[in-house]
Amino acid sequence: MTANAPAPLSRHILTLADTKRLLGIRYSDWILGSPSIETGIAASSMAQDEWGHARLLYAMLKKQGFDPFEVEHTRPADRYYSAPALDRPFADWADFTAAVVVVDGALAVALESFADGNFALARTRVPKMLAEEEYHRQFGSAWFARLAEAGGDAKARLTGSALAMLPSTLAWLLPGDDVYEDLVDGGRVWSGERVRKRCEDRLSALLARAGITLADVEPDRAGWDAERRRGPGSPAEEAVERARGDRNRDLFVE
Amino acid sequence: MTPPLGESVYEVFARKSRGEPLRHIGYVDAPGVELARVYAWKTYDEENWFEMCVVPRGAVIPVNRPEGPWARNLPGEGDER
Repeated sequence: MTANAPAPLSRHILTLADTKRLLGIRYSDWILGSPSIETGIAASSMAQDEWGHARLLYAMLKKQGFDPFEVEHTRPADRYYSAPALDRPFADWADFTAAVVVVDGALAVALESFADGNFALARTRVPKMLAEEEYHRQFGSAWFARLAEAGGDAKARLTGSALAMLPSTLAWLLPGDDVYEDLVDGGRVWSGERVRKRCEDRLSALLARAGITLADVEPDRAGWDAERRRGPGSPAEEAVERARGDRNRDLFVE
Repeated sequence: MTPPLGESVYEVFARKSRGEPLRHIGYVDAPGVELARVYAWKTYDEENWFEMCVVPRGAVIPVNRPEGPWARNLPGEGDER
């Protein structure tokens, strides 16, 4: 990677790609151990979707002066631009479900915004991602409603998981900084206000079933790292080792 | 026996092209229609399907073999799944 902070478009692509890569890893953790065989198969398929999308997004960096191989296989954890909600493994199925709704949902809105801008690669490649994401949305919506309707501990854990993920994910989605404004001014993405509104249109009713009022949740930008478009911290090393493919390093053929 | 997640069985039908008839390709266990749709699409994704549908197993009514596996779905034959 370049030594300097990435240009606004590159930061945006890295943010989307790294979040998809980490989300795929977190989904893959539950291929075994999810509530049913069918659920595990769906988790596996969603993990594959995220990794495929990440690969397509990383490839977009090639014309921005990056070596995609280097970006995918050599960066340390503290150079990842992923959403903070994915830094640690999901503790339980409530975490998984909340992430599908909150993180994957935010990603879908960010991609919709990107596909509607004037970056040609996003306009041509992202719509297929969004079509695949529709099944993630249905999966998250059904499981979220199911846990919320169950009440008791299931609902309490779901609410806790979603509330823990929302502030940092909203900050990731709505950075509100000059770098993002450059993208807006250049016609690359929607304004922060439009992104927030789309996010609320998509998620408010579902989150309300867990007692959460999305309009009341503020982005948490404490310790903001403008270069990585996220709060402090980084994904756990175990996840980054898998993202980079460290165990297979000796098998790489140049 | 009631499945632990309150699931029902959904039969999965699909076709690869518009002119082809729907054919039975398998089944999924799901706690409702929404997840049945997702599970079917994600489980049987080996083909580029033109169309896929799910049908609750309890909605399949036998016509000529009342003693067959769908007998339980005949009116008055008890529990429908």
